[in-house]
Amino acid sequence: MKIVVAIKQVPERDAQVRIDASSKWIEEADLQFAMNEPDAYALEEALQLKEKHGGEVIVASAGPERVGATIREALAKGADRGIHILCDDLAARDALGVARLLAAAVQPEDPNLILTGLQSDDLGLGQTGVILAALLNFPHASLILEVEKTDNGLKVKRELEEGWFQSIELPTPAVLTIQSGGTKLRYATLMGIKRAKTKELRQLNAAELGVNAAPVVALEQITLPKKQKSTQMLSGSPKETAAALVEKLKFEARVL
Amino acid sequence: MRTTLCTPIMYRKSVHMMLLSLPTLAEPQHFSFAEKSIFVVLASSSLYGFWRRFGPVLSRILHAKKDADFHLAPMGKRVWDFFWEVMCQAKVIRQRPLPGVAHALVFWAFCAFALVTLNHCATAFGVGFLDPASAAGRGYFYCAALFAIACAAGIFGLFIRRFLMRPKWFGEELSWESGLIAFLIFALMITYLAAFFVSDTSAAARALWWAHTLTLLLFLPVIPHTKHLHLVLSPFTIFLSRGGFSSIPPLSGDEDFGLVSGKDLTQLVSLQAYSCVECGRCTEHCPANNTGKILNPKEIVLGLRGYLNEFGPASEEPLLGKYNSQEAAFQCTTCGACEFQCPVGIEHLPILIGLRRGAVNTGSWEDDHGAKLFLALERGSNALGIAASERDKFVEKNALPLFDGTQEYCLWLGCMGGYDPKGREIILALVRVMNHLGTSYGVLRKEKCTGDPVRRLGNDLLFQQLAESNLEALTQSRTKKIISICPHCVRTIQEDWKEYGTPPEIEHHSEFLARHLDHLSQARTGIAQTPNESNPENEKIVFHDPCYLGRYRNVYDEPRAVVAKIGELVEAPRHKERSFCCGAGGGLAFLGEEKGGRVSHVRAAELTATGATTVAAACPFCNTMFRDALAAQGPAAPQLVDIAQLAARILPNAPVSN
Repeated sequence: MKIVVAIKQVPERDAQVRIDASSKWIEEADLQFAMNEPDAYALEEALQLKEKHGGEVIVASAGPERVGATIREALAKGADRGIHILCDDLAARDALGVARLLAAAVQPEDPNLILTGLQSDDLGLGQTGVILAALLNFPHASLILEVEKTDNGLKVKRELEEGWFQSIELPTPAVLTIQSGGTKLRYATLMGIKRAKTKELRQLNAAELGVNAAPVVALEQITLPKKQKSTQMLSGSPKETAAALVEKLKFEARVL
Repeated sequence: MRTTLCTPIMYRKSVHMMLLSLPTLAEPQHFSFAEKSIFVVLASSSLYGFWRRFGPVLSRILHAKKDADFHLAPMGKRVWDFFWEVMCQAKVIRQRPLPGVAHALVFWAFCAFALVTLNHCATAFGVGFLDPASAAGRGYFYCAALFAIACAAGIFGLFIRRFLMRPKWFGEELSWESGLIAFLIFALMITYLAAFFVSDTSAAARALWWAHTLTLLLFLPVIPHTKHLHLVLSPFTIFLSRGGFSSIPPLSGDEDFGLVSGKDLTQLVSLQAYSCVECGRCTEHCPANNTGKILNPKEIVLGLRGYLNEFGPASEEPLLGKYNSQEAAFQCTTCGACEFQCPVGIEHLPILIGLRRGAVNTGSWEDDHGAKLFLALERGSNALGIAASERDKFVEKNALPLFDGTQEYCLWLGCMGGYDPKGREIILALVRVMNHLGTSYGVLRKEKCTGDPVRRLGNDLLFQQLAESNLEALTQSRTKKIISICPHCVRTIQEDWKEYGTPPEIEHHSEFLARHLDHLSQARTGIAQTPNESNPENEKIVFHDPCYLGRYRNVYDEPRAVVAKIGELVEAPRHKERSFCCGAGGGLAFLGEEKGGRVSHVRAAELTATGATTVAAACPFCNTMFRDALAAQGPAAPQLVDIAQLAARILPNAPVSN
């Protein structure tokens, strides 16, 4: 199976983000970048499929020079080769623009399966994957926790609301957007990094892919969320308050 | 006083007469051609028997991979270690006094017997160089006789210990070879001593000579077939040690991932594997082994020996497999008790960590907790996996000054000091002391884990990233001197980071506090002349030596000085160099529930049993382990504090209790 994993480089989880002067993006100067977490799960899913069924895992990512480090990380974890779509104006492109870049780069590979995270940790649009499917005219499914290869195609497990799951089958080639936490991520190893040095990382220039860069969605402004603290006191017997607390943690705070 | 009318000649004569009246070592005066021939044949067979086994062992050691980072300098230390540990048997005696002395007696007798044995063999050909009748020869033989008596007594004692007392760390099975060796050594000594009581010309003298010779010739080939190979190898092992405690060698080249297979075993590791004398001191002190885990440091070393014997140094066969298990390697807390105890110079930590490196660097170690820790440090800044903004909030809330390069100290918070509630209390106590002393300090705006847990777990990739990123941040902030509450941070920054740059000077807060104790005491005399009731001067405080402060850094007295200022210092049975681990080291604090008993509970029980009302720790990891272990003891358990919190009690307006 030939699997393409589309990944995005986003600011590190611990990064302190500041809004830049234009109020349309963040200051990138002091930021550390990392692989978008749902994409890391997409990569893990791809690697596990390859380990089970053989084939090739290709990672593709669009962005400036620094994105190369994240592609190398994916190669170190076990991807076979990488495609870097060089573009310095990623933030100015909308989801359609980015999906067009990916589609143009991925199409010549003729993959059986394209995986990507269900959304990015920075913009969180959740659209790139599904638009990519539309552009390539592939079937797609989103919010995927498990992927299983069948004789005719794929069987996947989707996460629905409130603890419900849906199991569906679809033919290949297909695009799946992967939910975090469906599997366990592997850690990067020294051997992986050393092996990655010799793996192919092809650079494509965004301008040369001949896709339309004009956004159809215009970004007006970004703002930091307002800080708010609300303390609630729960009353009742310990048993009741504990039950009420679990209820709130589960459905209001959504941390359980 | 009476003057003696004795000329030198008379004196010499009288001494000579006296000597003549004493027994002389009997040596047969003449050996027939047949006897000489038999001796030559037997001696050659014995030497052949020795070499047939020793040759391949030596070849395996020499054909192992070279130690890329090995250098003989500094020679002074090597010579001293050799003198102190080999010739004086200092470690052998100090760590196990009775058996140690018995062993030393045997060792010294062997040294004394070097000449005796050479002379003994030479007499077969009439070329003996020590004349038993001459003053020098007689003197030497008497001297050797004293050693022989001591040796016979020593080996008898060791025999009793091994076969009748049977300490459990010798293993379940009785070692027949130890019995044989004890018998041979005993026989050597007896056949030597008996020769003083027969005449040169008697048949008994000849019989004793042959008995001594045969014992000797039997002993020689037994050496390389048994653990007594340490006779030959361990002096070299001690002389050629890496020179530092837990000295982890840098990986060399693109194909070095640690100890993966036989081709990764270096000459030093192989030499050490063959030097093991199976005394079990490492096992006796191992916290994992003592709490029912499968790790046995002795078996790890013997496993490598078994591997080398079966597969040899060039093999691709994994090291973690037939002879050693991955599970055992990952049960090590890297407390270093084994390495500290080893009397033959085996460096267990580079071996155990080397095996982990082999497993982690190639991705063959699969552990949910381990992967979680690695991912937390790949993507975040701290081992606890908490958002870095929590550290910012802590710094902001307590108005900790930011380090700007002008202050004397960079106060390193570490993961525990920055994120753990109790660790934060320790930091704040230290800050109060520093404020009182007027010491200038600042904290870094951003800090990453020093990489201690991943270093000890064998993740070289992550360790390098963390070390380099931190070194860069410290250079940019113009840090010259760091102070830290965590012995793991101190060790990792000072020693382990050296592989990737030049770390700033660093000290543990116990060293800082001890140096400023006098100033703090003045503060105390100013405010509280009489001890108040809730903080009585006679409070019994037991200090727990953190492995990374004690064995790793040799700091024992400074934290004790702080404790002694506040209350009465009491010692646990195992303290200082023999301190028993809390169970957190080696990344194990992050690996979830342990198998068998909990190391922390065993240690906490030992600390409580001293009758102390307070347990003083000097490491936030020990603190977190004992927090749980003491809580499990119920309400009567002693209170737990860090020495910084003790020191802060001296301050004016100090809270009564921490």
